[in-house]
Amino acid sequence: MYGSENANGLNKDKILEDMKKLASGDNKIVTQAVKDLAKSGDIRLESFFEMYRQGSIYNWPSKSGDIRIVLNEETFMDDDFNEFAPLLHPLSKEPFLINGEQAKPDLFELEDISPGRKLRSLVNSSKFLLRLFSPDLETRLSGVKKCGDPPFLPDALPNLEEISNNKNEDAKVRHTAKESMELMILGGVVEGKKSIKDRVLALEKLGNLKSLRALARIDPLETELSAISKTKDYTKTEIKNFKKSISSVRTKIEGHKEKVEWSGNLFRGFSYGSVLILIALGLAITFGLMGVINMAHGELMMIGAYTTYEVQLMFGHSPDNPVNHYYLFALPLAFCTAAVVGLIIEALVVRHLYNRPLESLLATWGVGLFLIQVIRIIYGDNIGVNSPTWARGGYEIYQDIVLPYARLYLLGLSISCVCFVYFIIRKTRFGMLIRATMQNRDMANSLGVRTRKIDRLTFALGSGIAGVAGYGWTIIGGVTPDMGQTNFIVDSFLVVVTGGVGELIGVVYSGLGIGILTKLIEPLEIGTFTIGPVWGKVILLALIVAFIQYRPSGLFAPKGRLADKK
Amino acid sequence: MIEEAKIIKSKRIFSFLCILGLVVVPAMYYLGVLSIGDINMLGRFITFAIVALGLDLLWGYVGILSLCQFTFFCLGGYAMGIHLAHHGGPEGIIDSNGWKIPACLFVVYPYEVGESSGDALVPGFWKPFWNLPITIFLGLLIPGLVSLILGYFVFKSKVRGVYFAILTQAIAVAAWLVFCRNDVKLCGTNGLTRFDVIAPHGSIFTLNPVDATKGWIESNTGGSNLDLNKDGAVDQLDYSIADVGYSLSAPEVQVSLYIISVLCLLGAYLLCRWIVISRLGKVLVAIRDDEPTLSFFGYKPYTFKIFAFCVAAMLAALAGLLYVPQMKIVTPSNMEAVRSVLVVVWVAVGGRGSLGGAILGALSVNLIYNYLTSEHDYGFFTWSPDYWPIFLGIMFVVVVLFLPNGLIELVDRFIKKKPISKT
Repeated sequence: MYGSENANGLNKDKILEDMKKLASGDNKIVTQAVKDLAKSGDIRLESFFEMYRQGSIYNWPSKSGDIRIVLNEETFMDDDFNEFAPLLHPLSKEPFLINGEQAKPDLFELEDISPGRKLRSLVNSSKFLLRLFSPDLETRLSGVKKCGDPPFLPDALPNLEEISNNKNEDAKVRHTAKESMELMILGGVVEGKKSIKDRVLALEKLGNLKSLRALARIDPLETELSAISKTKDYTKTEIKNFKKSISSVRTKIEGHKEKVEWSGNLFRGFSYGSVLILIALGLAITFGLMGVINMAHGELMMIGAYTTYEVQLMFGHSPDNPVNHYYLFALPLAFCTAAVVGLIIEALVVRHLYNRPLESLLATWGVGLFLIQVIRIIYGDNIGVNSPTWARGGYEIYQDIVLPYARLYLLGLSISCVCFVYFIIRKTRFGMLIRATMQNRDMANSLGVRTRKIDRLTFALGSGIAGVAGYGWTIIGGVTPDMGQTNFIVDSFLVVVTGGVGELIGVVYSGLGIGILTKLIEPLEIGTFTIGPVWGKVILLALIVAFIQYRPSGLFAPKGRLADKK
Repeated sequence: MIEEAKIIKSKRIFSFLCILGLVVVPAMYYLGVLSIGDINMLGRFITFAIVALGLDLLWGYVGILSLCQFTFFCLGGYAMGIHLAHHGGPEGIIDSNGWKIPACLFVVYPYEVGESSGDALVPGFWKPFWNLPITIFLGLLIPGLVSLILGYFVFKSKVRGVYFAILTQAIAVAAWLVFCRNDVKLCGTNGLTRFDVIAPHGSIFTLNPVDATKGWIESNTGGSNLDLNKDGAVDQLDYSIADVGYSLSAPEVQVSLYIISVLCLLGAYLLCRWIVISRLGKVLVAIRDDEPTLSFFGYKPYTFKIFAFCVAAMLAALAGLLYVPQMKIVTPSNMEAVRSVLVVVWVAVGGRGSLGGAILGALSVNLIYNYLTSEHDYGFFTWSPDYWPIFLGIMFVVVVLFLPNGLIELVDRFIKKKPISKT
C-alpha cells in the first residue's frame, strides 16, 4: 500500500520539499514537516532525524536565497583560523557537490536550524514512527514491535490503531500492533489508562493474544499490585481478582511458551539432523560402500561451497542486487566440481590404497591439508557467500513458531539427495554394478564388470554429494578454507559409524537420531547450569561410545558374508 | 612389515642417541654453534619424539591407530601448567582461602552472576598441583586412568581399526572443545601462561602455600623484615619473592630441561625396547597380525591393547610435562585434532614399527617444519611459510604411497649398502 508511492521520483521530491520546510523558522510548519517526513517511511530518514536532533543539519542558502538543506559532521580550520565545513548530502551522505567539487563554505554561511527542546522529542519519536510507514514488511514489523518495548512510544498509539484496523495490512503486523498497544497500556504510559484496573485488563487481552513479550512484564506488575494493596485504593476482593487474572494469564502464556520452545527444539533437531544426513551421505558411499576412509571428505564439501561462491560472483549476486537464480545453477556445478576433484583424488591417491584403510586415512588427510592451503592461498581466510534473498526470514506455521526458509530448503535438499542416491544405487544399472562390485569384486570382475571404472565413478558420486552438501551449507553457515576439518569430518564419520557401515538407510536414521537428540540435550538445565552445545557434544559422544558397546557395528549391521569382509 | 633383522641394531640407535643428545649438542652449545634458543627448540622436539615413541608402540606394534595422543600430551601439559602457574610471578591477589590466584586464571576468571573480583577462588582441583612431585605423579596418573577407562570400554567391545581411529579423533575434538571453554577454569583459549620459576623450595617440600608461608615466617623470626613487597602484610606474595627457585628463562635451566628431556627419551626408548623384545611384545605383534587366532589360543587381546594404550598415553603425558616448562605456555590449540594426526605423520615418515624410526621421524619432520615456516629466498623462487601445509600434505601422500617403511629404511639401506627386498 505504501510501496507504489515510494517507487517513483515524486516521493523523493516530496521528502526534499518537506526538508526545506524545516528551515522556515515557524514552529507549526516545522512540526508539520517532521510529521510529513515521518509518514514518508523512507528508512534513510532515520539517520537524518538523528543528525537533525543533534544539530548537524544546516541550511546553506544559495546566493539567490534558495533553501539548501545540508549535513555537516565535522569542520576544519585553515591557518587564519577560518572554520570551514565540508558539506554532505543529508539523505545519501554523499559529498554535496557544487561545480563537481565538495562544497566547503565558511561556517558562518551556514544557518542553524536545529530543533527546539519541544520539537526534539517529536523528532526522536519520529525516528521510530518512520518505520511504521516503511514499504518494507520486515522494517514495518520491527517498527511496530519497537513501539511496545520500553521506553514506550505513546505518540505512535493512533498510528498503531490505524495499522491494526487496516484490513489490507499483513496479519502478523496487525497482530503485533495490537500487542504493542496493549503492552503500552500495561506499561502505564497511555494517558487516561494508567490505573491498575486498565492495566490488568490489558494484560488479560495480551493473554488472549498469547504474547510472549508480556511475560517479562508480569512480575513487575505483581510487585506493584502488592504495594498497592497497602494503600487501599481498591477493595480486597478487587485486588484478589486482579491477582487471580494475572496468574491465569501467566499460565496461559507460559503454556504457549513451552509449546513454542518444544516445537522449536524439535524442528531444530530435524533441521540439524537433515544437515548431518546431507554431510554424511557422501561419506556413506565412499566409506560405507567402498571402505575408503576419505578424510578429505570435508574438503570436498569446502570445494562445493567455494564453487557456489564462484557462481555467485559470475552472476553478480549481492544483497543489494539479488540474482537469486544463481543458486539454482550452483547446485549442479557444485556437484560436478567436487566430483571432478574426487576423480582426481581417486586416480592419484585412493586407487593405491583400497583395502588399506589406515593408510588411506593418512593419505587423504594429507590431500585435505593440501586442498585447504591451496584454497586459502587463492581466496584468503574468509569469503562471503550471500544466500539468496528468499532464504531470509521464515514461515510462521503457528504463532511464534517460525521455520526459517533456509532450514526448510536444507531439509528438502537433504530429502532429495537421499532419494537421488537411493534411486541410483537401487534402481539403475549403474547402481546394480556398484552393488555387485562392492559385494564381491572378483565375481563381478569375472562376469565382465569393469570394476576399476565402477570404483572411480562411485568415488566421484560420493564426492559430488559432498559438494552438494557444501553448497547447501552456504545458506546457513560461514565458508572458510578449513570448514571441513572444523565442522564436518568428525560428525559425518560418527553418523556413518553409528548408522552402520554399508547401509545407506542407517545414515538417515542415525543422522536424524543424533540431530534430534543433540537439540533436545542442549537446552536442558541442571540447576543453574545449562548444558549448551559443547557439553552436549561431549554427552553425545559418551552416548555413542556406550551405544557402540551395545551394537558394535552400528544400527544397521551388515549381515552374513558381508559382515566378515568389513 | 619390517623384520627385526632388517633394522639397525637397537644398541646402535641407543648409543647414537646418547652421544648426539648428551655430548654433541651440549658441546655445540658451549662452543657457540647453537644458541640457547636452538637448545630450547631441540628440547621441545625431543618431547615430541617421546609422543611418537608411544604411538609407534601402539600403531607400529599393536596395529591400533590412536588419533588423540596430543590430548594425553595436553593432560600432562596442563598438570605442569597449573603447577607452574601456582609459582608464577610475585604479583597477584590472595583469595579468601589464602591461595594466590595465578595471573592467567585471574584475568579470565568465570564469575558467577553477582560475584565480584574479590570472590575469585583458586579452584579445588588446582590445589594438588602446588607440589611438584604430586604434579608429576598426577600428570602421569590422570592420562593413564583416562586411557584405561576409555580403552576398557572401547577394546572390550571389539572396536578396532578405523573405528577406533575415528572414535579417538572425536574424543580429541570433544576434549579440545571442553578445554576451550572458560567455565572449566582452565583459562579458556588463552591457556595457562605467565610462568616464572620451576622447583622453588616450597614446591618440593610443602603441600600448599598456606603451610609454606607459615613455615617460612617461623624460620625467619630472626628480625629481618619479611614484608618484601612492602604492601604492609607478610603473606604468600612476600614468600614467593623469597623462595625463587630456578627461573625458566635462565640458559642453564633450559639446558638442564633439555638434558632431562633427552634422558627421558632414552628411558622411554629403553622401556619400549624392553616391551617389544619381551614375550609381551610378541603377543602385541600377534594382535596386529592376527587377532582372531590369538584369541583362539586363549589370550584376551583387549587386556594387551589396554596396556599398550595406557603406556602410549602416559608417554605422551610425560612429554607434555617436559614440554610445558620449555615452551612456557600451554593452550588448547595443542589439542586440536590436526596435532594428533601430525604425530601419526612423524611415525609414518620415520618408519612405522621401528622405535628408532619414530624418533627419527619426529625430529626430522619438526626440523623441516622449523625451517620451512620461515621465508627463504632462493633467487628463482621465494618460499613462503604459507606453502608449509601444502608441503606437509604432499609429504603425507608420498610417504604413504612410496615409503611405507619410512625414512629409517633409507638410513638402513645407506648403512648396510644393500637393497632390501620388498616383502
